[in-house]
Amino acid sequence: MDHSTHEQSIGFGDNNANSGNNINSFNTANNGSFNTANNGTVPVGDPLRWLSPLEPVKRHHGLRSHRFEGVGDWLLETSEWREWRGGEGGAGKAVLFCSGNPGVGKTHLR
Amino acid sequence: MIDRLCDQAREEDLAVAGLYIDYHAQQEQTVANIMGAILKQLVGRGDIPEYIREAFQKGQMEFGGGGPRLAHLMRMLRIAVASLPQVFICIDALDECLPKNIPDLLVSLRDIVRESPKTRIFLTGRPHVGEDIQRYFSKPVVIPISPSQDDIRDYVEMRLDRDDEPEAMNEDLRADIMRVIQEKISDMYVGTLGVSTLPMVNTY
Repeated sequence: MDHSTHEQSIGFGDNNANSGNNINSFNTANNGSFNTANNGTVPVGDPLRWLSPLEPVKRHHGLRSHRFEGVGDWLLETSEWREWRGGEGGAGKAVLFCSGNPGVGKTHLR
Repeated sequence: MIDRLCDQAREEDLAVAGLYIDYHAQQEQTVANIMGAILKQLVGRGDIPEYIREAFQKGQMEFGGGGPRLAHLMRMLRIAVASLPQVFICIDALDECLPKNIPDLLVSLRDIVRESPKTRIFLTGRPHVGEDIQRYFSKPVVIPISPSQDDIRDYVEMRLDRDDEPEAMNEDLRADIMRVIQEKISDMYVGTLGVSTLPMVNTY
């Protein structure tokens, strides 16, 4: 059985944007079908769904539609962000924690 | 922030995976499901790697055929992260996770960083989870987030411009709204100010 229609729900990013040919872009919709050679013992299903039933990308797209452009730009200008983003600190500087009370808008940083 | 990183990912060699933790989904947002969701974003971009297909097939044949256990997921995740040039993992609202799951979640993230030190972890949460994070990562970079007056002014102006009853508005009222809202906001959720028609507060 050619099971080529499993859900394409992975990856962040617009599916219409100019993704170029960068293999790391989350724009690349997953067209790689999971063909299960049906010899009677191989299960049919979606290995990605097996990894986790959660669908964080759906929530991400929902939030994005409510977002206001430019919000959070300041964060990218901070030395903290640059230092963390650069990755020079290795494992010791791996974590950036945005700390704030409920409702201040942490989720909506673009 | 995930989108910003994705923009950069298009130009550079990095992969981004993220998840919003939600108080209302605590039961299904187990540590295994969270790490599994990170893994599926990392491996789901092209052909599914052979080790995942094999694990899936074996898992399906086991009695019950449930999802993989955390230890198994972590083995696969370590392989996936190590096979990519650099991975960014974003987790929003760590404090909404079941408290008993927070240590396991942070240990899992730490394991990935130890294995692949270039990995970057972006977390958000209420200030108190900073203590949990510090227990597992000695030097987290902390950025306090509070609403900015500029963002709020821009947002309220945008909402007023889109008012579907513009005839009810006049310059004085508009000026009053702008003044009062900006006066009242310090570190407060805009939704509590009676501006309940604002569906989403896009401050930062």
